[in-house]
Amino acid sequence: MLAYCLRRLALALVTIWSISVLTFIIIQLPPGDFADAYIAQLSSSGSTVSLDEVASLREMYGLGQPMHVQYFKWLSRMVVGDFGYSMEWRRPVVDVIGDRLWLTLAISVAALIVTWGLALPIGIYSAVRQYSAGDYLFTLVGFIGLAVPNFLLALILMYLGYTMFGLSVGGLFSPEFEQAPWSWAKFLDLLTHMILPTIVLATAGTAYLIRIMRANLLDELRMPYVVTARAKGLPEWRVIMKYPVRVALNPFASSVGYIFPHIVSGSIIISLVLALPTVGPLLLRALVAQDMFLAGTIVLLLGVLTVIGTFVSDLLLMWIDPRIRFQIH
Amino acid sequence: MRIRAVFAAGLLSLLLAETAAAQPSNLSASGLVSEPEGAQIVTDPARIPRQFREAPMLAERVRAGTLPPVEQRVPAEPLVLQPLREIGRYGGTWRGAFNGPGDGENGNRINASDMMMSWDMVGARQVPSVARAWEVSADGRRTTLHLRRGMRWSDGSPFTADDFVFWFEDLYQNRAIVRAPMPELQVDGKPGRVIKLDETTVAFEFDAPNFLVVEQLGAQAGLGGQSYRQSNGLTYGGYAPSAYLRQFLPKYSSEEEVNRRARAAGYENWVQYLHFIKDWQLNPALPTLGPWRTVSPINTPNWVMERNPYYWMVDTEGNQLPYIDRVSLSLAENMEVINLRAISGAFDYQARHLQLANLPVLLENRDRGNYRIDINLATYGADLALHLNTSYTADPEIGKWLSNVDFRRALSLGIDRDQLNETFWLGLGTPGSVVVAESSPENPGAEWRRRWATLDVARANQMLDSIGLSRKDSAGFRLRTDNGQRLVLEVLAVQALQPYPRQLEMIAQQLRRIGIFLDVKETERTLAYTRVQNNQHHIFPWSNSGSEKLFLVPAYVLAVDPINSANGPAYAEWFASNGARGRRPEDPMILRAQELYRSAASLPEEQRNAAAQEIWRIAVDQVWSIGVVGVSPGSFGVQLTSNRLVNVPRRSCIANHCRTPNSAYPQQWFFR
Repeated sequence: MLAYCLRRLALALVTIWSISVLTFIIIQLPPGDFADAYIAQLSSSGSTVSLDEVASLREMYGLGQPMHVQYFKWLSRMVVGDFGYSMEWRRPVVDVIGDRLWLTLAISVAALIVTWGLALPIGIYSAVRQYSAGDYLFTLVGFIGLAVPNFLLALILMYLGYTMFGLSVGGLFSPEFEQAPWSWAKFLDLLTHMILPTIVLATAGTAYLIRIMRANLLDELRMPYVVTARAKGLPEWRVIMKYPVRVALNPFASSVGYIFPHIVSGSIIISLVLALPTVGPLLLRALVAQDMFLAGTIVLLLGVLTVIGTFVSDLLLMWIDPRIRFQIH
Repeated sequence: MRIRAVFAAGLLSLLLAETAAAQPSNLSASGLVSEPEGAQIVTDPARIPRQFREAPMLAERVRAGTLPPVEQRVPAEPLVLQPLREIGRYGGTWRGAFNGPGDGENGNRINASDMMMSWDMVGARQVPSVARAWEVSADGRRTTLHLRRGMRWSDGSPFTADDFVFWFEDLYQNRAIVRAPMPELQVDGKPGRVIKLDETTVAFEFDAPNFLVVEQLGAQAGLGGQSYRQSNGLTYGGYAPSAYLRQFLPKYSSEEEVNRRARAAGYENWVQYLHFIKDWQLNPALPTLGPWRTVSPINTPNWVMERNPYYWMVDTEGNQLPYIDRVSLSLAENMEVINLRAISGAFDYQARHLQLANLPVLLENRDRGNYRIDINLATYGADLALHLNTSYTADPEIGKWLSNVDFRRALSLGIDRDQLNETFWLGLGTPGSVVVAESSPENPGAEWRRRWATLDVARANQMLDSIGLSRKDSAGFRLRTDNGQRLVLEVLAVQALQPYPRQLEMIAQQLRRIGIFLDVKETERTLAYTRVQNNQHHIFPWSNSGSEKLFLVPAYVLAVDPINSANGPAYAEWFASNGARGRRPEDPMILRAQELYRSAASLPEEQRNAAAQEIWRIAVDQVWSIGVVGVSPGSFGVQLTSNRLVNVPRRSCIANHCRTPNSAYPQQWFFR
């Protein structure tokens, strides 16, 4: 068991290293560099720079050096916890991401709690009461939730929120609280702003999980052991909760690997549409601006979290499902 | 920077457009376009106030002893401003929007009175700003600036001629900071000098006549002031706060010492640290000259500026300006969010980032959002110009046609500008060539707006037939003369400034009628610019904003700027490098235009205007760039003003050199 964990850990480290190499290559792939992006951006804002000014910038950021030199510079700094300097934000990368990390976590975790809190009971209900009126209703709602693109839902809710309830448009804080230190009022302000993104983010996920939970549970409910348990006179809720639900939970555990990075990045499109200060738009912007170190650090962070998430989900699966546990031995 | 989820943005526009009914059919009848108006600078000595008053927030600091009294802060020779409508009241926060750390121009322009000179309300005549007065010697070799006695930086240190000399000698001429001299400080390749004549007099001197530098000292150019040219890693500008910046330069301590400081602050070396330190958008401790100074930097969700306690403008009753305490720009990375916030009344003044397409919605929500909308018309010729790459060689057949003047003219005659104007400019633009507005002294005459810029399918077809492009395929598209394949012209359409990809799709449809196949390639902005610089594009659509002062921003008209001259980047490189790189144009008209441009600096204003007219005649006749629609409210033209805000002109100069909204003097706006 311990050997298994150690082997997984060693593999994870190798994977993370290859992610760092790949990340760096991918970020360098598009033609041009930060200086080119900077020129394009200045032109869009009605301003210009001279070639010499651009050359100075290139020199300052070391953009002219060969790729492997830049990579090792990046790697050697990262090992000691220095993730470099964001060229666009003109601040250390750690600060730029750090600002947004907590808000992203808050939204994602809230969305996750809503998703699971709704999906699990509804999924179980739909499976147990298959083809009941309730099942049909949830199925209908679920399919609509799956079919409607998230960004469209975000736009419509934002528009309705503004026209019907006078909610402020986009963002996570009202302007008067943006700069204010943390207080009870600011916290409440944050909560009211979080309702919309949480609903939008949770909708699609919920619909998807309801379908999975329902399908898995239906498979299990037809198993002979369930029939036996019923025949032996176990109370109905115990019959369902004790084994079939646990087995049906497997997909939840294995999805942890994907949930980890998702919690940190948030949804890029929804964050953009709702103007949420999360990590997702930061990544998109860094990629467009070819802000190497910032984009690299975020992609790497997401990669590392995927690896960790996969590791955690393996452990979870072993814990939930004895069959996997016994296979290892 | 404009990042946006394209789908989302389009959808929102649809959603909003549905509610839009009211559309002004006639611009002047709409009541949205007023006559130019603005605050006036008072020079009559009798009207210069002797006693000064200050904002309550500063009076408090004076009482607490942390700030000297207002008489010691305002210069002995302040700039006196007659407010547009009435003397204002102090206080309030101006709420606006910015779209990210790349949107520094947003604040630069609000603070652009830190230029030596500004422009009057129509952008025609230079008026004093930081400089109290100036003169150009008869031979044009020396431009002298007279500064204001007793003027101070925002930290209270004196602003003198030494700050110019410091910038010139210690920043600009230090090759570790600035790699190469700027074009504005050279004539015929020979560098100019900055000379201190006395405490408040400074001169820019050249070996040959330079009549242009006086305009460049008050415009969007290399000498355009601290906020514009010493932010974002740039080090031009013309002057710098010497007392503050000295401590960060090796010359005044030692290389080790400044490097140690830089590393302690988290930077690799002193140069990198200096670029942070001298950036007014990032460093709240930096002394500045603008009406507001940064307190919460641009790389946070809210870029906040607070009044400069040493600001050097007063109103006619001696109240130190600005009236408004704070400027607070909130971050919205999505343009549609900015527009949606605008209609909800979340901004007190906003013109930047408001899109013309949303005008109907903005108008409809005026009462609910408690704001008014004014329309400003730009004076540059084209919001959409198709810059044809006349120096293209990668595909000789395409290159041959792009450098053929009849081919270019035929393309231009094949475009239905009225249809584009109605669809994308709500009919508010002016269809025509690239030429500057008729109101400009650089305009060669009204007839040049329509030259080669009207729809004439028959003539276009006949011209294309006669130059040898008469063979067509079964779909009716003309064939190449080298291999008999279809002639395909590529357009790099970028989603910026205007909805270029959609506009180009419409043009592609129109050009079918003259048998030209236009392949619209929607391209990411950086990639497009990289290709343009490498001379790899056929056609690049962009505006020619800035060309209203041809000699300040020639890049979008002439092949002279290797970065932005998309109508001949290889020729531009040849011109800019004095023949060292790039390619010499064979076309005598291009050479002639380049020569006219080169001679401009040595010409006094009247002759310079004549040269500009000549260049415009050539540019329009040669169709290096096809003008489509311009002289419109396309950029900065839709202006939203809260009904609570007073003294905001209904119309002012929005040209590039006026640095909108600086020309509207935000210092004298106030909240009722």
